[in-house]
Amino acid sequence: MNAALIERGLALIGALVVGVTTSVQLRNDWKTTGIENTVTKLLLALMAFGCILVLLAVFGVLGGG
Amino acid sequence: MAVSTVAASGAHDPDAVRARYEDVDQAYHEQRENRLLGFLLFLVSDVILFSMFIFAYCYLRNSVPNWPPIVEGGKQLPRFDVNFAAFNSVVLFGSGATMHFAMESWKHQNRTGWFRWLIATIVLGIGFLCGQAYEYNSLAISWAGSTMGAAFFTLTGMHGFHVFVGVVFLCVLGFQTRAGVYTDSKYFGLTAGTLYWHFVDVIWVALFFLFYLW
Repeated sequence: MNAALIERGLALIGALVVGVTTSVQLRNDWKTTGIENTVTKLLLALMAFGCILVLLAVFGVLGGG
Repeated sequence: MAVSTVAASGAHDPDAVRARYEDVDQAYHEQRENRLLGFLLFLVSDVILFSMFIFAYCYLRNSVPNWPPIVEGGKQLPRFDVNFAAFNSVVLFGSGATMHFAMESWKHQNRTGWFRWLIATIVLGIGFLCGQAYEYNSLAISWAGSTMGAAFFTLTGMHGFHVFVGVVFLCVLGFQTRAGVYTDSKYFGLTAGTLYWHFVDVIWVALFFLFYLW
């Protein structure tokens, strides 16, 4: 098994775990108010977006991975 | 002397004690709001800093007909390794999730959970830095010689420095919490550390897209 396949496999598993976890946390915090919580929600949403980018990279949709 | 001072300040009167603590909490609350605003302005200034470099990268990228650029000798530079970058990105994003859990643990008075998740965050942050060092070492390009290399090392190096500062920040927070600096209701430093760590995660989302996926 080559290194690229292992990296893609680990990235896939990691992105799924982190993406789901972040989304659940975002849903739990959705109703919180205040600037601090709003910024945290924004940053969590962008992190979940990052996980989607990793998934697209793993499946070769973006970046020719 | 001490007794008369206590008596004069009304220390034994429950209403006076309550009023004084409410004053302290009110003062802390106002101070906390100002600190939060200041810290968010700092993050905004960092966003502007990264934006300037990202715009410079986009300009350089669009100013050449081919990307990756063709260097002297007619050789086209290779694309960056997206597989390893995807794995390293997940390590960093995972550290963002563990930092969120650490903060939630603190809010729920779970000190053991706080320390466990904080250590996990620090380990993942160091792991990301090691991954970046490995990538730097294995790249075929260097800082000098091409706009691609210059932009890549400048932006990812600046981000790596932010991650390094974040790791040091989190270590300091760990020592401070062990020393009892923060309480259940007064923990602005921990909030700032969490926001900073999420911020470096999100900056990496942009860099990952720009250098590896675009």
